[in-house]
Amino acid sequence: MGGRRRRTLEDALKSQILSFIDALRSAGVAAAVAETLDATSAVATVGLERAVFREALAATLIKDEAQRPIFESVFDHFFAVPKRARPRKGGHQPNDPEQTGGAGTAGDPTGLRGGQRPGELQSPAPLDRREARECAGETRAGRRLARRTALERTTFQEMSSREVAACDLLATELARRLRRNLSRRQRAAHRDRLDIRRTLRRSTGTGGVPIYPALRRRRPGRPDLIALCDHSYSVATASHFLIALLLPSASFFRHVHLYAFVDRPVEVSIEHGHLVPHTPLDLYARSDLGHVFVQFWEEHRNLVTRNTTVLILGDARNNRKPPRADILAKIHAAAARVVWLNPEPGQRWNTGDSVIGVYSKHCDDMLAAGSFHSLANALAHAFRTL
Amino acid sequence: MSHDETPTLEFVREGLTRARYLTTARVETVLYLTLRLEKPLLIEGPAGAGKTEIGKVLAETLRTDLVRLQCYEGLDEAKALYEWNYQKQLLRIQADRGQELDWSAVTQHIFSRDYLFERPLLHAITAPRKLVLLIDEVDKADEEFEAFLLEVLSDFQISIPELGTIRATHRPVVVLTSNRTRELSDALKRRCLYLYLDFPGLDIERDIVALKVPDLEVRLRDQVARFVNNLRTLDLRKAPSIAETLDWARALRALGIKELDSAAVRQTLNLVLKHEEDLHKVESKLSALVAATVRHAS
Repeated sequence: MGGRRRRTLEDALKSQILSFIDALRSAGVAAAVAETLDATSAVATVGLERAVFREALAATLIKDEAQRPIFESVFDHFFAVPKRARPRKGGHQPNDPEQTGGAGTAGDPTGLRGGQRPGELQSPAPLDRREARECAGETRAGRRLARRTALERTTFQEMSSREVAACDLLATELARRLRRNLSRRQRAAHRDRLDIRRTLRRSTGTGGVPIYPALRRRRPGRPDLIALCDHSYSVATASHFLIALLLPSASFFRHVHLYAFVDRPVEVSIEHGHLVPHTPLDLYARSDLGHVFVQFWEEHRNLVTRNTTVLILGDARNNRKPPRADILAKIHAAAARVVWLNPEPGQRWNTGDSVIGVYSKHCDDMLAAGSFHSLANALAHAFRTL
Repeated sequence: MSHDETPTLEFVREGLTRARYLTTARVETVLYLTLRLEKPLLIEGPAGAGKTEIGKVLAETLRTDLVRLQCYEGLDEAKALYEWNYQKQLLRIQADRGQELDWSAVTQHIFSRDYLFERPLLHAITAPRKLVLLIDEVDKADEEFEAFLLEVLSDFQISIPELGTIRATHRPVVVLTSNRTRELSDALKRRCLYLYLDFPGLDIERDIVALKVPDLEVRLRDQVARFVNNLRTLDLRKAPSIAETLDWARALRALGIKELDSAAVRQTLNLVLKHEEDLHKVESKLSALVAATVRHAS
């Protein structure tokens, strides 16, 4: 009789924990199946005393401190302390869940002692998904997380000026991530080939037996980068953020040249966080990509070498002026790679005065870069073979 | 307490107190869980909050040895696990050259434990009793090492081709620390219990100063703890660690300073802040910070 009762208690506990984990998932804290098993076995080992129970679930289910506030909020809602658990004067209160200290008893796998019922830790009604999401929404961390994902996916064209200001933080973080990826790839490229001469030289220390291989220390080739960014009204925001994302990774390139253009290319540099053009650029001119390419080729042809990656960001809307794709062909022939990033959604390419189709055969990659998310992905893709 | 009994929360608490390590209830609970569930523990958090200390303290609590593996970029199996002592083997072969030994006799000699450099992981696995294995700054190692570590931590057995498979008789208590300079792989995180060790907060830090610098006046101790806590809320390149708080307290005691004022702080600020830009930033706000600290102190 007692055994059956214990078994149903264990099952009740297990299903409660599973619904708690489900609630956590809806709130944005993803837990894999392995972690679920860990959580249930952890609770089975250490018992139901509230503080230890909470920490057991936290230590097995959350793997990032940013998720902690969401966990706390969902836990407090799910396992709300019922009123009858408040300590009574005198009398026997064996398992006040408020008390800290004291572990679950050994020998009793659920840690339930005589007086305590699972109801002590049960909320009056278990949370459903909507409530769980609301829980996450209540915490600042949950809101922050939700806002960030939303911001990442808003297209640049839809962004209000307030959102643009909020993006700077996001840009820094994405730039850092890009930099980390580039650095890891650069380090991975250090896998060198065997240097026979030095290996044999080293083997003299071990009696002519080559034991310590010497690897050819190849200086990693850093590519050059040329970025041409369209600063006409429709895509200025995207260009601004492209530069913000690229800048921290500038050390992974040998030479970096940034150009802004509307109807002609103007070299820009970054001083104190601002884009400073070397010669004035009229932002209200009408886009003329053909002229931009012609002037770029005339003045800066020598910068485009076998080691250069050329990034062009723009919507290729040319106001029906000649596109001069032949110049782009020359650039393509001279450079290592040409990548075009287009902030417009794919359906709008080649509509109206967009001439992107004409340019596409001279580009190695043509990628959509309409939101932060896609811009970061596009950059990662563009630099994957650095 | 012998190693066969299951640990209790009180045991952990007593051990931490005996090792003079003051921390929050949450940390005590997670340490108890680590010992009880026998899973590795991953500790993340800012530098100087006491992550590495926990390894030492656990070893003291369990009255056992600490084996430390310091991770760095380029750490590989040879440095972490084992390596054959080639020179010794070669010397042995040379020395045996006079005698006409057959192949099996030769290999029996040179492929024995004598000729093996036991690196920390192997040492931890083959120890005759339960040890604490501290893998420090695992985020500095690269992903291949993480994958290798995962393998070792799942089975606690190692195959050395010449010697066979070595299994752990006593699984060590494993603590990994990370400074979050990069994201660790999900597989490793899932294998471990997770603890975020942040700076302890005003009350506990005050108690730590009381414990480690006992002859400091109560009022000054409170001011020191409060000031450092305020510093941590600023946007500094490197927030002061607990060790720096203690250094500062000892320096103030040595200089005979009884009360915090702008002059005293300016004189000793370089014990707390180790970057030029941080020093500049704080010095410009120094009087305001000191005033706020003294006002709130008891």
